[in-house]
Amino acid sequence: MHIDIKKLQEIVGVENVRDNIADKYVYASDASVHSHFPDVVVRPNSITEVQEILRYANAKKIPVVPRGAGSGMSGQTVPLAGGIVLDMKRMNRVLEIRPEDVLCKVEPGVINDELNRVLKPSGFFFPPTPSSGMICTIGGMIGTNASGNRSVKYGATRDAVLGLKVVLANGDLVTLGSNTKVDSSGYQLAKLMVGSEGTLGVVVEATLLISPLPKYRMMGVANFSTLEDAGRMISDTIASGITPSMLELMDNVAITAVNNAQQLGLPDVAAIVIFECNGMIKEAVDHEMKQISDICEKHHGTGVKKSDDPKEMKRIYEGRQKLFPSLSRYGAGMVSTALADDMAVPMSKIADAVHEIHEIAKRNHLVMSAYGHCGVGLIHTKILMNTSKKSQWQDAKKAVKEVYEYVHSLGGTTSGEHGIGLSKAPSWKIEKKDSLALMKAIKKTLDPNNILNPQKLMDAPEDWLSATPLRYQVST
Amino acid sequence: MFIEGMKLTTKKKTYHLKKHDQEMDVCIRCAYCFEQCPIIREVQWDTDGARGKVILSYGILTGEIQPSQYVADKLFQCTYCRDCLERCPSKVKILEIISSARADLVEAGYASDVQKHVIHNIQTTGNIYGDREVVSQEREGKTPLFIGCQYLGRPNKTKKYIKILEELGIYPVITKEICCGYPMEVLGFKKEFVSHKEQFKNSFPFDEAITLCPTCTVFLKEGHGINVKHVLQIINDKLPSAHLNMKVTYHDPCDFSRGLRLIEEPRKILKKLGVEVVEMETHKENSRCCGGGGGILMSDQPLSNDIAKKRIHEALDTKANILVTACPTCEQVLKKAAQEIAETEGKTMTIRSIEDIIWQGLSEVKKSAESAKA
Repeated sequence: MHIDIKKLQEIVGVENVRDNIADKYVYASDASVHSHFPDVVVRPNSITEVQEILRYANAKKIPVVPRGAGSGMSGQTVPLAGGIVLDMKRMNRVLEIRPEDVLCKVEPGVINDELNRVLKPSGFFFPPTPSSGMICTIGGMIGTNASGNRSVKYGATRDAVLGLKVVLANGDLVTLGSNTKVDSSGYQLAKLMVGSEGTLGVVVEATLLISPLPKYRMMGVANFSTLEDAGRMISDTIASGITPSMLELMDNVAITAVNNAQQLGLPDVAAIVIFECNGMIKEAVDHEMKQISDICEKHHGTGVKKSDDPKEMKRIYEGRQKLFPSLSRYGAGMVSTALADDMAVPMSKIADAVHEIHEIAKRNHLVMSAYGHCGVGLIHTKILMNTSKKSQWQDAKKAVKEVYEYVHSLGGTTSGEHGIGLSKAPSWKIEKKDSLALMKAIKKTLDPNNILNPQKLMDAPEDWLSATPLRYQVST
Repeated sequence: MFIEGMKLTTKKKTYHLKKHDQEMDVCIRCAYCFEQCPIIREVQWDTDGARGKVILSYGILTGEIQPSQYVADKLFQCTYCRDCLERCPSKVKILEIISSARADLVEAGYASDVQKHVIHNIQTTGNIYGDREVVSQEREGKTPLFIGCQYLGRPNKTKKYIKILEELGIYPVITKEICCGYPMEVLGFKKEFVSHKEQFKNSFPFDEAITLCPTCTVFLKEGHGINVKHVLQIINDKLPSAHLNMKVTYHDPCDFSRGLRLIEEPRKILKKLGVEVVEMETHKENSRCCGGGGGILMSDQPLSNDIAKKRIHEALDTKANILVTACPTCEQVLKKAAQEIAETEGKTMTIRSIEDIIWQGLSEVKKSAESAKA
């Protein structure tokens, strides 16, 4: 593939184009297991520059992969077909804050927490709260329809996107959506862009719904000796009409990992559920927390406690907070990988799914924990494996397939918040088989030359394991 | 063919990186280390941040990229501020990996002339300046004191600290010390450090000591296994109260706040002396770096200066007009940045060392006592 580096340098400036092997190597990977070199990395700083890059790339049929922080765990920003990686971090301006309209307008490179820092003096925040909020960009969140532990109350990024400015594959700039919470007519093209993983256009501006910062917050915790009881507590809580601002589950593998790595002394039970309510009125929050505590007890929850003391809340959440590093340090030679890592199932099926995940792990000689935002039916798993062993990758491949077969059999979905990328794509295509042709038609209409993040979603390879070189060293 | 794209281990000349083989797999490349990495915040290229450096190190180890001047420049572009260690959810030993990568690069011939010059200075004169006149003044006393190159090169500051110690009844033993060897470690001259370590031990044969420089404090502990305390840790209880009536902001040196967790002592000291501390937006263990560490002054001074200017702007936001710090390197780079900001933007921030403030406090106490007597 020939790319006119000089042409790109003319568009964005010499200092914003890099094609050194070292840069290409770094931009070849994200937080997934995959890796593939781009041909060049380009950093635009304006809508016009993005348009010019896309006009050039489209004319020459050069792949373009937009990228924010590169923190995605599924390989969305791995440039499978090489080409141009469009690093959007320089487009990081907060353009407008309109508390009176409950919205803000930002460029895609704005970091989630930075936006919240800017919004705070107005008494507002941007509700989707991914764990990576301190580094992930709004553009990346839009690309993956990211959410986080507060999605149970506030929804995912798609729910907060009112409108977008998008540069299409041919360089045309389109304004989609509106400035209003309701927008009834026509196809919801702004919403369509959310979760499209950079395959339909490059988001250059977003109009986002913001929320008033809650004045009061309380957190609680309960232990369960069976997963079934924990599952019933979760589904009962949501079905009762209570709106917790957080409802998190940790299974026994997760509890053991935290206790081994951090010596926190969490109870050795089948599951721990952490819950939180927030709002403007203390009495209302207290009342909802009391209701959740009652539901915990009804389902044999023990050690139920709740607090609004910041230190105690921090302590309650500490185990969940430290889960990620604990899994990374689970055992010598074991590496935490994100492969089948964010499925969602109907609320009543959480216990079944967690049980089966444990069985699948056992069958395939792996360790898999289950935890996550159970208030929206979302289960995170990490596959802990010896990444240097070839056979473990075959085990992981089999486990991923089995996990998704089971999740689909429960009526669940492949990805709740991280997006599809590569390792989930084969299973996702099976889940979405009835809509794949439609999605392909949409892609063809918006990107006839297939330059935008090609070979992703419905066009992703059938075998994720051979789709790209893995980022790990693997012995034969 | 099974797993067509899988890479195979290649045996390259990566003597130092090899031991981090598994550690680099623990890094899931989540980019959480971006949060406050001064380099990526300034430069905004993924390659240049902490994650980028770990990935480059991995590439050198696996042979996917070859050592080059470009790769070396990226790996030497780090202030060793330890912020990545705070942010990494998996607690990957990022700085150890970077140090090893630097060592492999140095051994592959990618050290710059300036870096080699500094190491040569240490080997030939015992200090980073290459100046045989820069020596510690030996003296008898009770408590072994390690002065360190940065203070040896600033004899007035050293004298001031020694006077402070004496005023407080602490009598330091000073030997004819040589550099602790930290520049060798941080710049990747690990082989040179092996022999230097022996010499150091002979010049400073103590198991316990007090120190002046934050970086030497960390390195005496981590590199030499000496039980060290920084002077600020031991003088707090002995200091009399003063009423300086000043308002300052305090810049936490990275080796203090994140290296030694020495966070409250300087603040307590300032408070005791009647100095009000107005905190910057980032402070204590979250404090932004001044831009002066990790040998970056030898490899990328303009970048260091840009980082320092950010810190000065943060200090200016507090509305205090004095910034106090406890590290001579921080003081030096922040002074330069403050001067440039004063010249270009007309905003002034005075940079003062904590020993200056302590000395001022002690002088005030003495004066008050004298006038009370009179």
